[in-house]
Amino acid sequence: MSRYPVKRSALLPLLNLAQREEGFVSEPAMREIAKILDLTPPQVFETVTFYTMFNLKPIGRFHLQVCKSLMCALVGSDNVVGWIQKKLGIGPGQTTSDKTFTLSVVECLGSCGTGPMMQVNDDYYEQLSEEKVGRVLDDLKRDGTCSLKTGPFMYPQPLGK
Amino acid sequence: MATTPKTTTDMITLTIDGKSATVPKGTLVIEAARQVGVMVPHFCYHPKLSPDANCRMCLVEIEKMPRLQTSCSTQVAEGMVVKSASSSVAQEARKSVLDFILANHPLDCPVCDQGGRCDLQDFSHEYTATTSRFKELKRVFQKEYFSPLIETQMNRCVQCLRCVRYCDQVMDVKALAPVGRGTLTEIKAFGTHELDCEFCGGCVQICPVGAITSRLSMYEFRPWMLKRTDSICGYCGDGCQITFQTKNNNLIEVNSTHGAGRNNGDLCARGYFGYHVSVHPDRLTSPLIREGDNFQPVQWEEALELVARRLSEIKATHGPDAVGGLITGRCTNEDVYVFQKFMRGVIGTNHIDSSVRYGHLNGVRALQRVQGTHQWTVSFEDILAADVLLLVGTNVTETNPITGLKVKEAVKRRGAQLITIETLEPAIGAMSNIVNLSRHHFGVNPDAYAAAILGILKGVLDQQAIDPELSTKAHGYFNDISAQLETISWPVIEGVTGSAASAYKEAAESFAKGQKVVILVGPGVLRISGGFGMMMNLLDLLILTGKLTKPGCGLAPLAEENNDQGTFEMGGVGDVLPGGKPVGDREARKALSQAWGRPVPDSPGASLPQMIEEAQKGKLKALFIVGENPRGSLPPSSGIQQALENLEFLVCQELFLTETAKNAHVILPACSYAEKDGTFTNTEGHLQPVRRAIEPVGESRPDWEVFSALSVLMGDAMEYGEVKEIGKEIHNLLPGTRTLGPGPLPSKPDPSAIARYVSSEYKRDLAARYQVPSCASSNSKGVTLTISQSLFHSGKFSLKAKGLMQVESEGKLYLHPEEAARRGLGDGDRVKVMNSLGEMSTTVSFRERIPQGVGVFPEHFDQEIRRLLPYAVDQETQVPYCRLTEVRIEKVTAS
Amino acid sequence: MAKYEKILLNNMEQPGYTGSLADYERAGGYQALRTVLKDMQPDQVIEVVKKSGLRGRGGAGFPTGVKWGFIPKDHPGPKYLCCNADESEPGTFKDRQLMERDPHQMLEGMAITCFAIGAQTAYIYIRGEFRLGAKILERAIQEAKTAGYLGDNVLGSGLTINIFVHQGAGAYICGEETALLESLEGKRGLPRFKPPFPATHGLYQKPTVVNNVETMANIPHIINRGGEWFASIGSPPKSCGTRVFCLSGHVKRPGNYEVPMGITFRELIYELGGGMRGDKPLKAFIPGGASAPFLTPEHLDVKMDFESVALAGSMLGSGGVTVMEDGTSMVWAALRLMEFFYHESCGKCTPCREGSSWLVQTLQRIWGKRGRPEDIGVLEELCGNIAGRTVCAFGEAEVAPILSTLRHWRGEYDALIREAQETMPRSKEIPVLTH
Ligand SMILES: Cc1cc2nc3c(=O)[nH]c(=O)nc-3n(C[C@H](O)[C@H](O)[C@H](O)COP(=O)(O)O)c2cc1C
Ligand code: SF4
Ligand code: FES
Repeated sequence: MSRYPVKRSALLPLLNLAQREEGFVSEPAMREIAKILDLTPPQVFETVTFYTMFNLKPIGRFHLQVCKSLMCALVGSDNVVGWIQKKLGIGPGQTTSDKTFTLSVVECLGSCGTGPMMQVNDDYYEQLSEEKVGRVLDDLKRDGTCSLKTGPFMYPQPLGK
Repeated sequence: MATTPKTTTDMITLTIDGKSATVPKGTLVIEAARQVGVMVPHFCYHPKLSPDANCRMCLVEIEKMPRLQTSCSTQVAEGMVVKSASSSVAQEARKSVLDFILANHPLDCPVCDQGGRCDLQDFSHEYTATTSRFKELKRVFQKEYFSPLIETQMNRCVQCLRCVRYCDQVMDVKALAPVGRGTLTEIKAFGTHELDCEFCGGCVQICPVGAITSRLSMYEFRPWMLKRTDSICGYCGDGCQITFQTKNNNLIEVNSTHGAGRNNGDLCARGYFGYHVSVHPDRLTSPLIREGDNFQPVQWEEALELVARRLSEIKATHGPDAVGGLITGRCTNEDVYVFQKFMRGVIGTNHIDSSVRYGHLNGVRALQRVQGTHQWTVSFEDILAADVLLLVGTNVTETNPITGLKVKEAVKRRGAQLITIETLEPAIGAMSNIVNLSRHHFGVNPDAYAAAILGILKGVLDQQAIDPELSTKAHGYFNDISAQLETISWPVIEGVTGSAASAYKEAAESFAKGQKVVILVGPGVLRISGGFGMMMNLLDLLILTGKLTKPGCGLAPLAEENNDQGTFEMGGVGDVLPGGKPVGDREARKALSQAWGRPVPDSPGASLPQMIEEAQKGKLKALFIVGENPRGSLPPSSGIQQALENLEFLVCQELFLTETAKNAHVILPACSYAEKDGTFTNTEGHLQPVRRAIEPVGESRPDWEVFSALSVLMGDAMEYGEVKEIGKEIHNLLPGTRTLGPGPLPSKPDPSAIARYVSSEYKRDLAARYQVPSCASSNSKGVTLTISQSLFHSGKFSLKAKGLMQVESEGKLYLHPEEAARRGLGDGDRVKVMNSLGEMSTTVSFRERIPQGVGVFPEHFDQEIRRLLPYAVDQETQVPYCRLTEVRIEKVTAS
Repeated sequence: MAKYEKILLNNMEQPGYTGSLADYERAGGYQALRTVLKDMQPDQVIEVVKKSGLRGRGGAGFPTGVKWGFIPKDHPGPKYLCCNADESEPGTFKDRQLMERDPHQMLEGMAITCFAIGAQTAYIYIRGEFRLGAKILERAIQEAKTAGYLGDNVLGSGLTINIFVHQGAGAYICGEETALLESLEGKRGLPRFKPPFPATHGLYQKPTVVNNVETMANIPHIINRGGEWFASIGSPPKSCGTRVFCLSGHVKRPGNYEVPMGITFRELIYELGGGMRGDKPLKAFIPGGASAPFLTPEHLDVKMDFESVALAGSMLGSGGVTVMEDGTSMVWAALRLMEFFYHESCGKCTPCREGSSWLVQTLQRIWGKRGRPEDIGVLEELCGNIAGRTVCAFGEAEVAPILSTLRHWRGEYDALIREAQETMPRSKEIPVLTH
């Protein structure tokens, strides 16, 4: 908070933190943050609802966010949704019954050259194919992580590397 | 305009639709246009709010600018050429904006309360929006329960955010949230919760369409059916202008025209939602006479004859001083004037008192003694213009919300520095909290205000911030006060108040540096022991820093009841004659008796506490109580109950059957403020017209009419045909004091009075005032309990307002959550509150702003609370103190 | 491929380059900051940047030096620098690479900028989804601080420069500079009307410069090699230097390509990008991110500089070049972008807020074969009523795809509508207005 001369600036960072801890931004968290920042709960609430990354309800352990914007769509992002649906039986906005995966379709995530892609929690998975999606989902479920995640980002890779 | 008036006198000339306008630099184009009669249509612009330019309705063409500009956010420039109505491009653009808005608007005007006074309707009409080509789906918001008083219809919302901005910028409450993004943004409270706020009604008033409406008047009217009556609110001393909207003699709603009155069109919950008090089914509708334990309705003649006969008898047998009178500061000036004239002239006694006695008297008396005038020497405008504001013991946003708005504006928008000495602590909650805006906050216990004031005084001395002329002009005064302050050590002040010496010194320095300094004082000072002394010391503070006579500076005690100030000025206090002169003033008495053609008694009038004593002793035989309820206001320890029972004759003139009225022999039904004409004087000393909006309820009559009728029956007629005649009589008696102008003419301090004070008068009680009173250090087990006024109520009167009762219907013991936790108490727990005087049970509720060790109970509810209050009377002003006590709290385990 | 000298991507393309401070220093990093602190006055730095002709890489292309020059010199209170790392424009993914691969390059640029404008505090507003980028930046800032390039008393100069990473939370509009400031202040990201401009009333109402990541990354090189050097690259005088173009869509080798401004689209797509996927004919391309109007194969030889693209009826914008092959429906493409804009409209201005939902629904209908003949007229009129009448440039952006596809491929709209009229009964599917 010392980073900002005006307390309220710490709102997004604190909300991010809250979401990190609970997986979503709960009402008690909003009240708590309001108190820390000398805001009213409605002020926190309005901010939370403006930003799409905040979940107001609990979601699965892994949040699969598939980009559906034009650039990814050109290279087949609609398929990705289909593959996931086939594998996990959930459509956009749904969560698997074991609360492991939640699927969302989202707008551009800034990886248009390496689509189709999806973000899972903090990590990006790019240039997806059906097989790759399958592996990612399996790995995540089994190990909680997957080595196919990408970054630090550079594309195209320089020749000779 | 939201921005501060520019100090620069630069004027700018521009042309708008061919008309030349010359306006100050910084003016917005839309405002300049209005000044030359060009009305630019708009939704989001509002003069009270900073521009947001979101609706895009006010687009105008400005020569040399590439595209259309929003006139609500563009400042004028020299030589600018603006085209509004004369620009077809701008007109087209506005039409398209309407088209866009209507695309998602439900067009449910027939069932919309705003229909007929809706900006969207008006502009659509003006721009004859063609039938929409919008063939898509309209957004539909799920209807959610919003609040007991306010209803939202989000489908109608045009997303101008005026409500949200008002709630933030003007009210500082921030209860409304624009939730979501884009076209699906809707105005909500927190989460799915209902609205929790001050219920000022501002969002309802400022919504340009019917998206936010009042539930109290929902579906009851079409605006064009309503009759409008401008009047003054009857709740607090701020004296807001309100407009009663009535239909067939029914009160439908109350609002306030933008920019109207001392309140500038703003209201609080009491003003906006509290109007149903006048039409409550419990209103007394006919005179009642006691028969055994019951009351019998009778004709006016019978009741009046009985009263006249009994009063005459008692006067004849025991002398006029066996009769006393008590009147409420809710009455009009005319009522009070005729009442005291009746008591003095017809009965022949000065035994008159009023609600002024409960605290306001401490304020006016001190002003009178030091500066020679009993009125504020400042006005609301001076609060707005102040660079330093000192607030002492005034939870101003609750007691006097509109004065609170002035303070908020001064601090938030005009950069005034706020110093607060207040029990409440900074904390954000559902209601605004003035100490949140404070630069120097002294959070003291309710019994430590006096010590904190001494701290500031001592700070001024330490910082050598004394008016340099003072030591020569009033050497002795200065020396004596200095000497007194020397005897008080910093550690003592620090110990009692919990604030550091350095904090006092800093605040004192800010205070002394201020050019325009206003001190506001509330019930926390005026109604607790030592209140008068604190007022005096604050006046000393102004003298020491050389500010008492400076324009724009002054000390302003806040009146709690709407006409407390007027009641004092009309002679509603035993030892004060109309105009504020003491009864002891022979000249004034003479002038008065000449004007009245009746002798004016010279024996000093008894105060309410004295009348209680006299009645207990059996010396006072009869009381005529008008609109007051001492049994409801004073604790049993005052002896009020026995006093009332001792009386041979008690008349109550009332709206409702109060605790006191239940003891009466005769009860006379009176009119409320909505049913009578007259004037109120607000806390600033500003006289304002009160107008009848509905016919008297039942057989109730205006108070003055009753006094007049009684005088006739008692053979000493004061005849008035209408209220104006009384006004004229007062005007002739007190020339120059009654101007019904747009704003008050603040009085000036009287130099001779000040000279008298600093040369000798101050000595009278100096030593007593300059002492740190010992504070009941609350032991670890107990809390200091104070009763206080709630934002949603005013006396017991508002308990009959259904709107307000929906927000707050019972008294609760408010505690800080940690204080409660320490005692193992949860929100909503039942507790027993007790001390040596008595006990009561109530419910605990949390409030962050209340400091630990303190409990607060709203004074409007539960007679029981009064049993716990000790009672003391001020030696100087006879103000009864019964606000503070020490209590123990025990959890009641459900059985 | 090494036809053009790379400036920004040069380091990271070296084998083994990790972007660590040591790597960066080895490549000559932080020399510019030393130079500036030792030998230059703030005014001189601004002069050099003005001379370089550097224009903002965030989209609007405003001359950077000029922007810095607007900051009041004698302002008593704090001033701020905000680095716009919100990179949310569909089609753009260069900042991500610049941050993740060579964070010190932009940090050095930011430090120099702080010196030039007299700011002690700078924030990097990075979109919330870029968690990795944020982590890398945090680490780099820590390194730089330890090495004395940031923090109190930078390189012994007595100056304080602190850079903080601030993560967004999912809102395209927060890339708009004033919305970014609102968001940084902890509010909803609604753009402010201008004037006043951020240069005088920016973050916390204090003088503020907002610059894109790539803009910042250019600064150390300009200092090291001189304004004239930079101005000689690309197509001066208006489009100096290189740009990192983000190539996406139906090409063989999508990705980031740094080239001097002024090469043709053909060269980027066919030489660097290796041509169209499956060698299909190119049907359309977007030259500068989702907000830029579509262009056609006829425009392949347009030079990639600010003026030439503007002349062709579009804009260079954020540098995102998206290529579409034959067979791609332009109505569908416009719809996909419109869905994005509808989702991202902040809702402040009436025309943008209501217009975007109206447009998206109309397009959905046309695409769903439920169009009506009058729809095209409505689309055109609505676009006209949005552009130029909003607080920020989003209004122009959201109508660009529709207007440009209507201009070049109106036949596709007509065909869909004709089909709708012919296929009766109408489809039952009803579009639902949701986010
Ligand atoms: C709707 C909208 C979105 C924008 N998004 C971005 C963005 O994601 N990143 C960026 O650098 N600039 C973005 N901009 C441009 C910024 O407003 C601003 O011009 C830029 O940050 C200035 O930096 P520059 O001068 O270095 O380009 C956006 C502008 C608009 C109108
Ligand atoms: S143009 Fe759109 S995105 Fe920009 S401020 Fe207005 S409503 Fe928001
Ligand atoms: S009144 Fe100007 S944009 Fe709304």
